[in-house]
Amino acid sequence: MAKKPDPVPVSLFIPRSYLTTEGNKTGSWRFLRPRYEEKTAPCSAACPAAEDIGKIEMLAAQGLFKDAWEAILRENPFPGICGRVCFHPCEDVCNRGSFDEAVAIHVLERFLANRARRGVFTPDLKRLAPKRQTVAVVGAGPAGLSAAYFLTLLGYRADVFEAADEAGGVLRWGIPLYRLPLAILQEEIRRIEETGVRIQTGNPISQRDINTFIEGHDALFIACGHGRSAQMGVPGEGLPGVQDGLTFLREIREGTISSLGGQAAVIGGGNAAVDVARSIIRLGGSALIVYRRRRRDMPAFGEEIAMALDEGVELRELLAPVAIRDSDGGLVVEVQPMQIAGTDTDGRAHIEPKGKKTEEIRVDRLFTAVGERPGEAWYEPPTEGNGVLRLSHCVLQQRASGPVVYGGDLTNATKSVAHAVASGKEAAMALDTFLAEGIEAVQPRLAACRVGEGPALSMEIYMHGPRSERSFHVVTSDEINTAYFQFDPRVRQPRLLREERVRSFGEVNLRISANLAIREAERCFNCGLCNQCDNCYLFCPDLAVKKDSGPLGRHIDYDYCKGCGVCAVECPRNAMILEEEAYEEGD
Amino acid sequence: MKKVIEGSQGVAEAVRLARVNVISAYPITPQTHIVETLSGFCSDGTLDARFLKVESEHSALAALIGAASSGVRTFTATSSQGLALMHELLHWASGARLPIVMAEVNRALGPGWNIWTDQTDSLAQRDTGWIQLYCEDGQETLDTTLQAFALAEQVNLPVMVVLDAFFLSHTYEPVDIPEQEAVDRFLPPFAPRFQLDTANPCAFGSMVTPDTYMEMRRSIAAGMEAALELLPEVEERFAGIFGRRWAAIEPVRCDDAEIILVTSGTVTGTCRELIGDLREKGEKVGLLKVKLFRPFPVEAIRRVLAPARKIAVIDRNFSFGASGIFAQEIRAALCNTPGHPPVFGFVAGIGGRDVTKDVLEGIYRQTVESDRPEREDLWIGLKEVPDALEHP
Amino acid sequence: MRLNIPEQDYMYSGHVGCPGCGAAIAMKFFLKAMGEKTVIVLPACCWSIIAGPYPQSTLQVPLIHSAFEAGGAVASGVRAALDTKGDRETVVVTWAGDGGTFDIGFQALSGAVERNEDFIYVCYDNEAYMNTGIQRSSATPYGAWTTTTPGIQWKRGRKKNIVEALAAHRIPYAATASIAFPEDLIRKVKKARETHGSRFLHIYTTCPTGWRMPSEMSVRIARMAVETCIFPLYEVEDGVHYTLNYTPRGFPVNEYLKLQGRFGHLTADDLEQIQEMVNEDWQLLIRKTGEQA
Repeated sequence: MAKKPDPVPVSLFIPRSYLTTEGNKTGSWRFLRPRYEEKTAPCSAACPAAEDIGKIEMLAAQGLFKDAWEAILRENPFPGICGRVCFHPCEDVCNRGSFDEAVAIHVLERFLANRARRGVFTPDLKRLAPKRQTVAVVGAGPAGLSAAYFLTLLGYRADVFEAADEAGGVLRWGIPLYRLPLAILQEEIRRIEETGVRIQTGNPISQRDINTFIEGHDALFIACGHGRSAQMGVPGEGLPGVQDGLTFLREIREGTISSLGGQAAVIGGGNAAVDVARSIIRLGGSALIVYRRRRRDMPAFGEEIAMALDEGVELRELLAPVAIRDSDGGLVVEVQPMQIAGTDTDGRAHIEPKGKKTEEIRVDRLFTAVGERPGEAWYEPPTEGNGVLRLSHCVLQQRASGPVVYGGDLTNATKSVAHAVASGKEAAMALDTFLAEGIEAVQPRLAACRVGEGPALSMEIYMHGPRSERSFHVVTSDEINTAYFQFDPRVRQPRLLREERVRSFGEVNLRISANLAIREAERCFNCGLCNQCDNCYLFCPDLAVKKDSGPLGRHIDYDYCKGCGVCAVECPRNAMILEEEAYEEGD
Repeated sequence: MKKVIEGSQGVAEAVRLARVNVISAYPITPQTHIVETLSGFCSDGTLDARFLKVESEHSALAALIGAASSGVRTFTATSSQGLALMHELLHWASGARLPIVMAEVNRALGPGWNIWTDQTDSLAQRDTGWIQLYCEDGQETLDTTLQAFALAEQVNLPVMVVLDAFFLSHTYEPVDIPEQEAVDRFLPPFAPRFQLDTANPCAFGSMVTPDTYMEMRRSIAAGMEAALELLPEVEERFAGIFGRRWAAIEPVRCDDAEIILVTSGTVTGTCRELIGDLREKGEKVGLLKVKLFRPFPVEAIRRVLAPARKIAVIDRNFSFGASGIFAQEIRAALCNTPGHPPVFGFVAGIGGRDVTKDVLEGIYRQTVESDRPEREDLWIGLKEVPDALEHP
Repeated sequence: MRLNIPEQDYMYSGHVGCPGCGAAIAMKFFLKAMGEKTVIVLPACCWSIIAGPYPQSTLQVPLIHSAFEAGGAVASGVRAALDTKGDRETVVVTWAGDGGTFDIGFQALSGAVERNEDFIYVCYDNEAYMNTGIQRSSATPYGAWTTTTPGIQWKRGRKKNIVEALAAHRIPYAATASIAFPEDLIRKVKKARETHGSRFLHIYTTCPTGWRMPSEMSVRIARMAVETCIFPLYEVEDGVHYTLNYTPRGFPVNEYLKLQGRFGHLTADDLEQIQEMVNEDWQLLIRKTGEQA
């Protein structure tokens, strides 16, 4: 082989690169700047308890069941209960509903509560430092228990006073076992007690006790509920065979009624009426609901009505009772046919008698469930006046001895557990703000904790948790980039067969497996929340989205971001925002 | 080993001996024998190279730019139209400082399809940064092709080895084909100063602004200057191994010549004979053979030509609107020499027309009889033709 | 659901692509699938500039810029050189725009694939000579404004079907791909990488600047091109076996056209005409893929 000649250094200056392009800070091109901004999911805004549903499903989809359950508990102490009895307004506004079917949020909530039971999860909840003030809560129903729970998390000592022998209120006496098993209720109450709430049952409170703030508590929350049934106001209402529906439900729970034959009529259209009717079926009787408006006007939850009818309950619409008479060991109910004529000022259908001819219905007994009222006059919240603040779910009154808040069914038109929780939470926030900063601070402070446009309020926001970073903007379905989702049917919650249902008070809805739960949770769009899907990172033409170990797992490198906005559009769930770049003078 | 071969075959043998790695070429008369011979070598394994049968000359050079940039020895051959088609990439190859070697068979450009010899095609590319070496006979062609690789790889510039159509490409002569072992001693494996490399990734040929481009062009010019210096060393080494010596210019009996004829290519061979004849008759005439056209060996040419009384350049080419191209270059080489001789620029042999001894003698006589050239271009042997487009 | 995309990148920030440049997104995904044993031949196109001026390079793989029409030929040479060096691992890629593929570069491309050169030719198609100022190419679609088809002289010729032209060469693999379908794109790049002989990828890349559209819509409009059947995603193996990779939702073409200023001059009749042309082309394609109409 030839010896290589000594190399002569011949000039060789060619265009060969020796640097990367990282020296070009292309961020200077920007006139729009993208930013991660988590927003509000419509479900969480529709939930009276403001549960962070998008986040809950995100955690559940990752199999982080305990974390998801704790996310519920931050806003609602009753996942097991609500996961069974809530009317889930969240699902009605679920953006997924415009795509294929709404996420089964209700079913997932129950799953998570079950999971917590099975795994004997102990929740890790944020609690503020103990405060010296104490609060007395009158009534251990869902509103009172919620208020006590939240006040305890805020650092107060909460004492709950319950007239009955057991806590729970309408949860124990008003909701039948086939909807809410006793064990679930007991466990959820026990968990509240474990936070430090003291419940004194068999301890009725009088007007005088209220005046002394029950021996020197610093604040009061009155949530005694609507325990007394309203009267129909028709002749014959006092006859034997005519019974108050709520009392009936109570007797079933106490065990004093175990069977009931014959045909019963149930007057009313709310959940109580439907519960009464379905209970009658299970006790062996027949039930006929008589309602003066139409099925679609009934305040009862649609699912409950459908199941009732499926179980054999009859429904006759547009009939108003005018009189009740004895007849051959039974009753005859005279009813006036009604017709729809426009709308009332409260939005409900306006009815008027149709013709003069009445009908007669023969039954063995009759139950009334036409509305509930407060048991005592002093339960009633004051109307507007000096030192009275009407909040969305409560009324706050500033008295000489301290603040008094009325809540629960006493102050909410919609009587639901979720509203009760909302009420208890609002009361806790209002009292805490009042005691720390005075009455003027209450409304602004609460307004800052709203979810979306409100009226739902978030305790996590109140406690300055991560949720307080979110924008109030509620994500609409057209703001979701559905290109990243596939059609996938909603999970079907198994249910007892009709034949099985009517035989007992066993729970009707059955549980789903973890596999199904995860798959259903994956259907959630997580509207407005970043679930680290990485679309922004993958599509950025400038590789300006950098992964990190922060809460979102990423940040935008503004040295290079040109503000093209592709990230914001390809974010499937509107967790980003594009805003004008702010330039200073001389830039 | 001496064999009687065509000029084309001599090129092919040199390419084989140089152990070229990638060949890419498109056939055009009269280069075809080069590529056909090389195809044969590749097919029968005599030469272990990839031969890309591309679909045009432009692609042929493009492929070599890619291959040379990947750090391997490369070769192509073309002529006339093909070279013209490559023009864009001729600039590219030198700008990229790639040591590509090309055999360029001088052929006339159309229209009027003309496959015979004419130097206009290669000279029209004189600005492209390619080293240009013009060959007189078969042995020189083979030897120059070998030297081309050595020179190209030292200065990182492409080299064009130019040979006349038919008079050289298709003429059989006895040629000494060296042994592989000797060539290996002369020409080591290509050691690229840069190449595409996944282990050391970079970009070649990016956008360059006015800030930097001028220096890169100056670097090419410096490469050319180095070539001028290094060619004698290459030739020296070659002579040491093979016993043959060529040179950038070859003066023949110029020392006391009053008139010096300047030629290139195969015309030189004819002219040598004429010089012999004229000297016998006592004429003080000499011949300067120019082999290296780019870089133009200004100093050397000046030294030889300045003392003469007249210079007669024979151009087998023409730059329209100016004159014969060798004549232009020589005038430029002499213009700063005070008292330099007048340069007669003769244009002969265009489009393959024969340049015989008689033609050359006519040129000599004309030069003797005139003090100064009456015009910049003196066309020899033109016939009367109608000016009008219509034939009478 | 997280898109399943390889994590490693082979590109740096700081390149000078326009905001929202589809070609930059395409290169990013392409290199993720290719890895570091890749050499890129880059004929004149937008990417000649995006790649960075001397002395910068935005890529982490070796890159050689080439003359405009020579992409297929330069790659052939690089491949030959690597073969003689015994390197069978490195893959040679030509990365060209529509100009250097459909028009001036077509000869070299056709020549290279006719020889079944072992390389991947990627055409990222932004449907005009964008780098020189939005002039029409044979890839410009019917109906589009460009600077050389302005006003009433908007482009009346159909877009050249480059995949069909390449399929006619019977190359082992040809496919269309889109930046809006990155998993499909990456699968195809990986498949091309493992195939030998000439492979051709036609990637649809939006150009916010040249198409007169907001930069943030870059990926969305690319998706819409596929969903309207204007740019179907399919593969052709050996020039004869057609596979449709994605069944578009079949939105009307106007859902795509109305998003871009370059189509703003079209009348309702023009739109109908375009819809018919797209329907016709779609029918021709699905006959080949064997899908049900």
